[in-house]
Amino acid sequence: MKTQTYSLNLGPQHPSTHGVFRIILELDGETVVKATPVPGYLHRGIEKLAEARTYTQVIPYTDRMDYLAGMLMNWGYVQAVEKLMGIEVPERAEYIRVIVGELSRIASHMIATGAYGGDIGALTAFTYTFRDREYCIDLLEMVSGSRMTFSYFRVGGVADDLPGEFYPAARKFLADLPGMCDEYDGLITGNEIFQARTKHVGVITPEMGINYSLSGPTLRGSGVNYDLRKVRPYSVYDRLNFEVPLGKNGDCFDRFRIRIEEMRQCGKIIQQALDQIPEGSIQAKVPKVIKPPVGDAYAEVESSKGVYGCYLVSDGSPKPYRVHFRRPSFINLGYLAKLCEGWKIADVIAILGSIDIVLGEVDC
Amino acid sequence: MFGQGLIKGLQITWGRLLDKKHTVKYPYEKIEMFPRFHGRFELDVEKCIACGLCANACPNKVIEMEKEKVDKKQFLTKYVMRIEYCLFCGLCVESCNKDALKFTNVLDMNQYRRSWVRLSLVDRPAPEAAEEAPKEETPAKTVKVEAAAGQAPVKEG
Repeated sequence: MKTQTYSLNLGPQHPSTHGVFRIILELDGETVVKATPVPGYLHRGIEKLAEARTYTQVIPYTDRMDYLAGMLMNWGYVQAVEKLMGIEVPERAEYIRVIVGELSRIASHMIATGAYGGDIGALTAFTYTFRDREYCIDLLEMVSGSRMTFSYFRVGGVADDLPGEFYPAARKFLADLPGMCDEYDGLITGNEIFQARTKHVGVITPEMGINYSLSGPTLRGSGVNYDLRKVRPYSVYDRLNFEVPLGKNGDCFDRFRIRIEEMRQCGKIIQQALDQIPEGSIQAKVPKVIKPPVGDAYAEVESSKGVYGCYLVSDGSPKPYRVHFRRPSFINLGYLAKLCEGWKIADVIAILGSIDIVLGEVDC
Repeated sequence: MFGQGLIKGLQITWGRLLDKKHTVKYPYEKIEMFPRFHGRFELDVEKCIACGLCANACPNKVIEMEKEKVDKKQFLTKYVMRIEYCLFCGLCVESCNKDALKFTNVLDMNQYRRSWVRLSLVDRPAPEAAEEAPKEETPAKTVKVEAAAGQAPVKEG
């Protein structure tokens, strides 16, 4: 009997695409023959908007890229401006940045974990991670005043010092964190149905991961030990002791699992940062009107999704001439089409979820 | 043994059955916001010198202000925030040298109509001239009333 392939449109309005993302699937029965990702539904032109704003005014826009880890998005941008101007950030500010950045990473990974459980069909996991994320976000709200789009970083430091009530609250959260992670492990990671759906599915080999310039947990799931915080330590990460969790098989399960492991490591990092944080200024001496010299600078940080970079070109005016963001979600997505080929349609959801994309960042 | 993980997962969910509640019934019950919470804006007209730094700091041109010169002093006649475009980043509050513009912890700013969203913090006429009116007194009072009217949301659910 002669059969023919047909195309199916997945998204852009579909909960498992984590936003407004569309994949055109060419299917042979249930098997994917070809997948064509179509991003761009959430494009707001942040890079262009930045050209019409002063250097400080760009900060709130960076929040809106990876809105699940807004602090880390701020960080990459302000680091680029600081590099361009040669500003030395006070030590206390660096520690505060590490603390809030890692809290942001925990919040982001909690969403990734819960949403992935939801993708596979374990919606219970979603409620558990979201419950705990609220407590994490509470801490960030205490510091910055917002729950998602923080705009907390400033060129040369941070907007405000940590409030007094933050320290006991943070320590309490950190004490609870291993228990939370154990709960996710018990609920999702150990679940046989979940394992059957994710183990040996969507395998990324280390070579392919490097060739496609993947980064973050997506790359580390394949066993490639590449974490900017270790490889090229920025801020005060060289003074903090932590491990980089690595996967073995590079499948969906490994990518999922190391996010929970990373949360545990984040807890360790924050604990150390809270112990080591020195007294002092939280803001370097920065002129009121930020006018970097003519030139360009590129700075990158390890965001929750991978290597997040910011390229800045200055023409000497108070507004950036060009801003470009290297968004890890977008680049990790580049391998999706190849990765989906040959898998069943239900596996496409599992594969897409394991990459952990945020559409705000993909489309920028 | 196959199924062990499932049983462990069920144990966790059952263990949480009688757990304390993590949510509140929102419109009826409200939690207290943190002191730094970015809620509705509040402008202390007494302190404001109408310098316009806040309007300049805003990335989205949210703040519209009008001023008149009275007695060699800037007199704020209008201060409207187009809240529908506001990012709540706090750059305006940070830029205020006189501590006049502040965040409050009021979070329910939702309205039924788009036009009601606009936040008019000051809308008052400039005092005529210096010879009459014992300065500040009268305008300040009217301002309070006006500002209050601007701040209070139309009653909604």
